[in-house]
Amino acid sequence: FFNEQARLQTTEDEDEDVADPIDDREIFDILSVSINDPEHPLSLEELNVVEQVRVRVDDQENTVGVEFTPTIPHCSMATLIGLSIKVKLLRSLPERFKIDVHITPGTHTSEDAVNKQLADKERVAAALENSQLLEVVNQCLISNARTS
Amino acid sequence: MAAGSALLVGLVEEFVSGQQDSKAADTATGLKAGQFTILQLVEALGLHLASSQPQTRARGVQLLSNVLQQCHGDLTEREVDVLLAFYENRLKDHYVITPHVLKGMKALTKCSVLPPGSAVSILKSLFQDVHVQSLMLVERSCVYNILTQLMESRESELKGLGADFVFGFVQSVDGERDPRNLLLAFQIARKIIHGGYDLGKFTEELFEVTSCYFPIDFSPPPNDPHGITQEELILALRAVLTGTPRFAEFLLPLIIEKLDSDVQSAKVDSLQTLTACASVYEHKELAEFLPGLWASLRREVFQTASERVESAGLAALGALTACISRSVLNSDSEDYLNVFLDLVLKDCQHHLCEPDLKLVWPSAKLLQATSTASYRASHRVAAAIMPSLIEQYNSRTQVSHTSQLGHSISVSVDARQAVRQRCLTALAAVSSRPSVVQESTPVLLQVLTFSHTGMCTGSFSLEEVISVCHNLQRIAEHAQDTEETGRVFHDIIIPRLLGLALQAAMRDHPSPLVEESVLSAMVPVISTTCARLQSQLAGQTASRAVSLFLDGDMSFLPENAFPSQIQLLKQAGDSWRQSQMVCLLMGCVCSLPRSVEVPQMDRLLLELEELSCTCDHPFSYTSAAKCYAGLVNKRPAGESSSPVAKALLLRYHPLSTALTDKLFSLLSDSELGSLAADGFSLLMSDSPDVLNRGCNADVRIMYRQRFFTENSAKLVQGFNSAAQVLFILLPLLLEALSCPDQAVQLSTLSCLQPVLMDPPSALITHAKTLIFTQRFFCLSLSLSSQKVRIASLRCIHALSRFPEHEVRLGPGLVLRALAVPLDDLKRMVRNEAVVARNEWFLLGSPGGR
Repeated sequence: FFNEQARLQTTEDEDEDVADPIDDREIFDILSVSINDPEHPLSLEELNVVEQVRVRVDDQENTVGVEFTPTIPHCSMATLIGLSIKVKLLRSLPERFKIDVHITPGTHTSEDAVNKQLADKERVAAALENSQLLEVVNQCLISNARTS
Repeated sequence: MAAGSALLVGLVEEFVSGQQDSKAADTATGLKAGQFTILQLVEALGLHLASSQPQTRARGVQLLSNVLQQCHGDLTEREVDVLLAFYENRLKDHYVITPHVLKGMKALTKCSVLPPGSAVSILKSLFQDVHVQSLMLVERSCVYNILTQLMESRESELKGLGADFVFGFVQSVDGERDPRNLLLAFQIARKIIHGGYDLGKFTEELFEVTSCYFPIDFSPPPNDPHGITQEELILALRAVLTGTPRFAEFLLPLIIEKLDSDVQSAKVDSLQTLTACASVYEHKELAEFLPGLWASLRREVFQTASERVESAGLAALGALTACISRSVLNSDSEDYLNVFLDLVLKDCQHHLCEPDLKLVWPSAKLLQATSTASYRASHRVAAAIMPSLIEQYNSRTQVSHTSQLGHSISVSVDARQAVRQRCLTALAAVSSRPSVVQESTPVLLQVLTFSHTGMCTGSFSLEEVISVCHNLQRIAEHAQDTEETGRVFHDIIIPRLLGLALQAAMRDHPSPLVEESVLSAMVPVISTTCARLQSQLAGQTASRAVSLFLDGDMSFLPENAFPSQIQLLKQAGDSWRQSQMVCLLMGCVCSLPRSVEVPQMDRLLLELEELSCTCDHPFSYTSAAKCYAGLVNKRPAGESSSPVAKALLLRYHPLSTALTDKLFSLLSDSELGSLAADGFSLLMSDSPDVLNRGCNADVRIMYRQRFFTENSAKLVQGFNSAAQVLFILLPLLLEALSCPDQAVQLSTLSCLQPVLMDPPSALITHAKTLIFTQRFFCLSLSLSSQKVRIASLRCIHALSRFPEHEVRLGPGLVLRALAVPLDDLKRMVRNEAVVARNEWFLLGSPGGR
């Protein structure tokens, strides 16, 4: 595994008047730092469940797409992981974004079913109202102490 | 009585045949002496009275009438009855006899024993048998006198005649020319109207027979023995014409017609008559004529060359307005007053704004006439024209007369407080030119004087007095800086203010001018004046003030009725009223331009220091301290004087650090801690009356920033001290966060964040957290510095760590609020927002914290 190095700051970042567009790296950083795989001690980034290359964001079009790769094809936690990613993005992005989370094609046996669930807004909302489910999701999302 | 009758016969013979007039007197004497009765006299006259010669008959009647004139008081009712029957009968006789008959009747009407019913029969015969206007002057007078007499003594009987009486009178008077007789006739007519006689269907006739003389044009002949003046006639006629509303429909058109006349006296008479009838009439009488009346009045005032006409016209307008104002409103009728005032305003208002200035003044006078007529009118007119006045002021046209208008409206006696206040404010608003200042400021000063002396029917409230001071200050702030204006303020207004305040302070009875709020409102008047207007005069004001306060020199004050010794800067016992005047001294010396020196500075500082330390009246010692600070601030560097923190801080004097350290150390002192914290507040706040740029004080830039960057750590350390210190420091920190300076915000936030991450238990209260959270949010949205936004978001993040039961901030709200910085322009800010928001999501959520 490798840890990506912390993002370098540029002079433009310091400039008050220049707008920094939301880019793939930024989304990736949101996801990578603080989501844990419930069954592993390592983070999703460390497990390559999420990779920067599989994150696509279009700031102008207000769309975000994340493909994630479950650790094994039969991973029973795929839905949960997907849900956690989705929730994290919902909590971390401006409302204007349309969020699409799906399994990297060909990496899971039930990817169609899982994708369908993740794409269904009503189902996601209902799921989050289930306090037990929410509890589990939250536990995935409990952030570690910042190291920066 | 044979002797009597012999005498009588003799007298009669001598009078009638012998033509000796003097015998009449003798006859009267004999009658009074009881030598014979009146009826015996009649009998004795019998032959002559039946003579075929009219002259003889006349002579007979003459004797009888003469005697009656002397003796009417002695007659019995029976005698009067008989005589009246005789006289009434004689009215039908030859015209040469008539004068004597009338004389006799006149005498008889004076009898108190006049039998009932006689009055009516007399008048009936008179009206029937006598054509009054064919008589000579004296006889006509006689008839009028008879009428007058009977009206006086037998009123109810005459009223029983009904309208016939009026008709008879009208016929008698129609065509009368003699001024004496006219006076009599007018008096009778007036009595008819006011006495409640039935006019019946002869109202118009009565009006016409009197109004034909209107307007009176009479020049008495030189050496007129009777001394009747035109004025008398005018007034007598006016009393008739304006006596009853029933004449309105005839009188008002007549007035309008006569107003058209070129003769000035006719115009004036018409206008004065109009004024008189307006006080008697009601709106319904005037209604249909109002447009016509207004048109005439307006024309007269607009075009007049005569002051008499103008003032009569204005008075008439006022009377009309007052009349209409009295009218009672029905729920479904229009408001007549508004309808009328609309008419007036429509024609006058636009003139106030026109560049053609000719009609401004007359329009203003017309408006003033209406507005002084009643409270309702003043309210309506003021409301309508104030906006135009202000608009005109703004467009910089000639303002002096509009200020006159405002002046006169403002002192109209009926104006209530709200109207007054608006007028005074408007007055202040238009007062920037020197000429206007000179006119408007006396009005304001007058209000202050009245409020103090209590010499006004409507008393002035505290708010009004304070508002007057605000208005004076406003004028001082915006007026052009000319020598004229400067003199008004420095030589008139300031001495007057000081004089009034001193008067109030020296006396015992209550006055608004000893209230702290009023004195505090006076200070800006003085300080603005000294800062802005004519620095040389300002220096003079400062010297005078110093002499007053240090040495009790009152020579420059307008009224010099003060005890000889005053010491304003010493407080002894109960003299807080005097010591609190030091705030006015502050106004005089702490706002001067840099070029002006304050005399006797050392002595002043010494006394102020002592007063501020020894006095126990809070307002006094605070003002003294502020005055002191203001003076010290202006001293050149390097002088040793006992330092006052802020003054020095503002100039970044090296000693200030030591002072602030001292203040810090005092924070934890149980007694002085709160005072020390107050001291900090004072240090950091913008004191409006002393130490800021507006007062020409020496303000080094960024003093606040300096203070915080040097002392934030110490402040935050204070958090770890006792709970009550924390309690006091929090407002200070909040204020630091409210400071517009970014560096201050940043340093405060940076200090706060670690504390919030690990808060001492004393810090956590719901109320405080709420306030801070709000502040953090504001800062997180701040448009200028991303560092500030980042720091504030970190603080918000830190708040999420507070024990849940203490937070109670409504996480939903926080989450929604945090959604905004998620879309911040800068990535680093967004990063922080993400972190904070996710933490807050976990708060109180299952599986979360």
